[in-house]
Amino acid sequence: MNPLFLELALVLLGITLLMIEAFSPKIPKKKLAFIALIGLAIVFSLTWIPLQPLSAESARFYTTDTIALFFKRFMLVTTMMTLLMSLDYIPVLERGIPSEKPESGIGEFFILPIFACASLMWLVSATSFIMLFVSLECMTVVLYVTISYLRKDPRALEAGTKYLILSALTTGFLVYGISWIFGVTGTMSITHLAAAIKLLPTTSLVSLFFGIGLILVAFCFKIAAFPFQFWLPDVYQGAPTPITAFLSIASKAAGFVVLIRFLEQLYLLPFLNKKIFALITLLAMLTLLFGNFAAMAQTNMKRLLAYSSIAHTGYLLMAVASLGISLALPALGFYFVAYLIMTALAFIVLIIVTETSGGDDIYRFQGLYQRSPLLAAAMTIAMASLAGLPLTAGFFGKFFIFQVTLQQGHYGLLGVGTLSVIAGIYYYLKVLRAIYWQQPAPEALPIVLSTRTTFLISTLIGLILILGIDPAPILMSLR
Amino acid sequence: MTPLSHYLMASGLLFSLGLAGVLLRRTIIIIFMCLEMMLSATNLSLVAFSRYGIIHGHQNYDAQILVFFIITVAAAEVAVGLAIIVALFRSQQITHTEDLNRLKF
Repeated sequence: MNPLFLELALVLLGITLLMIEAFSPKIPKKKLAFIALIGLAIVFSLTWIPLQPLSAESARFYTTDTIALFFKRFMLVTTMMTLLMSLDYIPVLERGIPSEKPESGIGEFFILPIFACASLMWLVSATSFIMLFVSLECMTVVLYVTISYLRKDPRALEAGTKYLILSALTTGFLVYGISWIFGVTGTMSITHLAAAIKLLPTTSLVSLFFGIGLILVAFCFKIAAFPFQFWLPDVYQGAPTPITAFLSIASKAAGFVVLIRFLEQLYLLPFLNKKIFALITLLAMLTLLFGNFAAMAQTNMKRLLAYSSIAHTGYLLMAVASLGISLALPALGFYFVAYLIMTALAFIVLIIVTETSGGDDIYRFQGLYQRSPLLAAAMTIAMASLAGLPLTAGFFGKFFIFQVTLQQGHYGLLGVGTLSVIAGIYYYLKVLRAIYWQQPAPEALPIVLSTRTTFLISTLIGLILILGIDPAPILMSLR
Repeated sequence: MTPLSHYLMASGLLFSLGLAGVLLRRTIIIIFMCLEMMLSATNLSLVAFSRYGIIHGHQNYDAQILVFFIITVAAAEVAVGLAIIVALFRSQQITHTEDLNRLKF
C-alpha cells in the first residue's frame, strides 16, 4: 500500500462526513460520530498492511520509519477516544451553541478531529521543515475552531482567543527560525540538517544558534515546557473537555515527535550536543518542579489535570534528555501509551461527573463512591496510574524513563524526578480523598451509566492493569 | 545589487516591530495584525535567503515554496481568528486583552 494513502483516506472520510452533515440534516449527529469511529478504525487496521517504499520525491519530505508508524496509530487511537468522549459530551454541546433546533451545529464537533488527526499523522512523518510547518498549522487551525466551539460559554471563547494569539506568536517564532536555518545551511530537510551544519564555517554559527533557539522556543510552547507553559491551564479549563483531552494527548505527542526528530540531528554534532543535553535537562527539571508544585494548590479538576499534564511533559523531557540511550525512545513511546489510556479515563469520568453534578471542581467528586462505585474505581485507577503507583501502566512508564535517565547519568534530574513523583502522589490522592472519605452533597443522585460508557471505562481500566503487569508488547513495537 | 544584509535587517526590523506590538499593545485586533506582520517579515527573509543562496549554480527554491504555504496558512488563520474575535465581541463586547480575565491567569 502506498504510505500516503492513510492520510488521504482520513481526509476523504472527513470531507464525506461534512457533506453528509451539510446535505442531509435529518441524520442524527450521533450516527455521524459512529461513522467517523468506524472510518478511523478501518484506517487504524490499514496501518498494519506492509507499506511500499516511498518514491524519491516523497522521501524528501516524508518518512515511514518505526516512530512515524507508531505515532500514526497513537494519533488514530487518541482521535477515537476523543470521539467516544464527545458522545457523552453532547448535552453540553447542545447547551453551548446558539441554535434554534436542538441538534444543529454539533455535527462538526465529531468531524473536525478527523482533520486534526490527518494533519498529526502527516506531522509525525514530516522530515522537511515545509511539511512540518504546514501540518502543524493544519492541526492548530482545527484546534482554534474546536477550542472555542461552545460559543455561548464566555470561558471557551476566552480560551480560544488566548490559544489563537499565543499559538500564532509561536508560529511566527517557528517560521523565522526555519528561515534562518535555511539561510545558513541552504536546506529545508530535517534529516540532512546535521550533515549540512558540519560543512559550515564557524563564522555562520551565531546565525545558526539564533535559528535553533527560535525553533526550540516554538517546540517548547507546543509541548508546554516550563517557561512557555503559561497558556496551558487557561486553555485546558476553557476548552470543551474532549478537546482538552485531545490537546493534552495528541498535540503533546506531536510536539515531542518533531522535537525528537530535530534534536536527533543536533545530537549528532559534537560541538553542540553537550550544550543541548544540558539545556533539555534544565528544562525537564524546571517543568517537573513547576508542574507538580503548582498542581498542589488547584481546586478545579480540569486545572489539576492541566498542571499534571505539564508535570508529565517534564517526565517525557527526562527521556528526551537521555536520547543517547537506545531504550529512551521505547520508554518515551510506552509512557505516551500509558498517558493516553490514563488521561482518557480521567477525562471520561470528569465529563460524566461534571454533567451530573453541575461543575468541574474537585469538591464535586465528594462521595462519588456512594454515587457510582464504577466511576470511583475508574478514577482511583486513573489517579494511581498518573501518580505512578505499582501494578498500573503509569508505574512502568515512569520506571523505564527513570531507568534511561540513570543509564545516561543525569543524577540531578533523577533527584528532581523522584521529588516530583512524591509531590504527584499528594495531589492525586487529594482527589481520591474527596471520592472516598467525604460525603456527597445532599442533592447529589446516584449516577446511571449507559452500556457504551460502562464498556469503555471497563476496557480502559483493564488496559491500565494489563500494561501495569506486562509492558513488553508496546516496548517491543518501538525497538 | 542590494546586499543580502539589507533585506535581513528590514525583515528583522519588521519582525521585532511585530513582536513588540504583540507584547505591548492591548487591543486584540492590533495584536492580531502584529502577528501577521511577523509572518510577513519571515516571508521577506525567506525570499531573500532563497534569492542569494546559490547552490551548484542554481537558486534554491525550497524557501519560496514555504513562502506560498505561509501566505496560505496566514489566510486560514485570519479567517478563523477573526471569526473567534468577532464572536468574542458579540457575546461580551470585549476588545481588550485585560478583559480576558474569567479564567485566572
